[in-house]
Amino acid sequence: MKSTNSRSEKRSVAARTHRGGRAVSCGRGRRSGAEGCNTLSKSGVLLQTASYNPRPLKLNLKEPFIPDKDSRKTPEWQKTARYDRKLFGRHGSASGVDPASLWPSHEELDKIIAEEKEWHPPLEVMLKNIEAREKQETEKRLAKEKLIAANMAKMPQMIADWRREKREAKIKLNEEKARRAKLLAEARVRFGHAIDPRSAKFKEMVAEIDKEEKKKKKLMKRRLKEEQEAATVTPSATSS
Amino acid sequence: MSFPKKPGGKALDALQNLPRITLANLRPEPGATTEEKKRGRGQHGGNRSGRGHKGERQRGNRPRLGFEGGQTPFYLAIPKYGYNEGHSRRPQYQPLSLKRLQYLIDLGRVDPTQPIDLTQLVNARGVTIQPLKRDYGVQLVDEGADIFAAKINIEVQRASEGAIAAIEKNGGVITTSFYDPISLGIVIKPVPFFMRGQPIPKRMLPGEDMVPYYTDAENRGYLADPEKIQQARLALAQKYGYILPDISKDELYHMLSMRKDVRQIFFGLSPGWVVNMSEKKILKPTDEKLLKYYSS
Repeated sequence: MKSTNSRSEKRSVAARTHRGGRAVSCGRGRRSGAEGCNTLSKSGVLLQTASYNPRPLKLNLKEPFIPDKDSRKTPEWQKTARYDRKLFGRHGSASGVDPASLWPSHEELDKIIAEEKEWHPPLEVMLKNIEAREKQETEKRLAKEKLIAANMAKMPQMIADWRREKREAKIKLNEEKARRAKLLAEARVRFGHAIDPRSAKFKEMVAEIDKEEKKKKKLMKRRLKEEQEAATVTPSATSS
Repeated sequence: MSFPKKPGGKALDALQNLPRITLANLRPEPGATTEEKKRGRGQHGGNRSGRGHKGERQRGNRPRLGFEGGQTPFYLAIPKYGYNEGHSRRPQYQPLSLKRLQYLIDLGRVDPTQPIDLTQLVNARGVTIQPLKRDYGVQLVDEGADIFAAKINIEVQRASEGAIAAIEKNGGVITTSFYDPISLGIVIKPVPFFMRGQPIPKRMLPGEDMVPYYTDAENRGYLADPEKIQQARLALAQKYGYILPDISKDELYHMLSMRKDVRQIFFGLSPGWVVNMSEKKILKPTDEKLLKYYSS
């Protein structure tokens, strides 16, 4: 890691511009006002950089307060591991805290690793999830668009069909009306006066007319058949 | 034959002869201070002390903010709608204009010869980040792109295309990286963190919704492919119409190519180390399991 190379530099240069922390002043005693550092850039131009006065670190190294762990009177929160870490942070080795206790123990580390595995998946897994999700979305969208395109292609045919059906229905309606008018006229002629189409007499008349029509059709069919037979017989007679 | 001029001259004379500076000799610049208003004293400040005449105003019993005397107040009359849902939980990024960045560099508050990080910006009091208010970092805005002229290595959390173009035009390097809220709190206030005595944690990866942003070379994401970033730099130069300067021939190339590892929070410090301010020491773990965890 890049950090290991600059580690030694960092420690020796800890008093000067601290990469990770605040920019510590060059003149160590002055605490009032904004201080400036004069850094010499590689090109040789003198750059003056200002920095804010860092908050005074009240470390209290002369008389550190370290509570007595065994006494009953010390409050519970001063006996916790968290408080020990803070003591170490403030006073360092003078606090009498074992530095090895600052890091998590093996059990705690196992818990941390399990939690991380569950809640923070690695980058590859996340990328795969994202890809899968996007693929699904694009597929859905494409399917929808295909459906729409197919339906739109069918549209002219469907429009023509619909128009044709409408026309046919209209024609049928007109025919129906004409037929009814004709029947009414027929009835009028037969009975001499206007008769209600819903009455029984009218229906009987309609039935009679239908019968006559059927008979006529049958006769027509028979005649047509005979003519066809005659037509087929004579060509075969002439050909043979 | 000219006499050699004494260096310092009149200023040195003045310094040697004038009396020492004490509080009695100092006075603020005219217009620097304003007299404060004293309530309840004198002809103008006294009597009702600026509170008005009787009623709730003078007696300090006004109703809550937003109350409109019983009429349904504005903030309740406007109906809710879906596009505002979860607005308070959305990540926010403090904007930093290129104009302000140039101002900070010109005044010397930010050092352009070192990589510019969120820590440096906060130290310079250039931006104020509040991680507890769903701030996830700083975003670079391209206001002031026409006057921007500084070659810097900057790392922000979001950047607009114009800002990226302006920085790369001047021969700089820009990277967008992600800091999870705990890491952000550590980055903006490193010293209080070191006083806590905890080992430096590793930076977590962004969530699934932000991974596409940080793996995209167009945004110079820290998870993106370096070759794609180079191609994107060329493409952007063509788009905005400038010649991309070659940073490999630059004298500050080493500084410009400094970049943090994906899990690193500070330059020069890796996760797992304990920094002690009182003794100015860094403690590192030696246990293999810990090392494995912190380097994963």
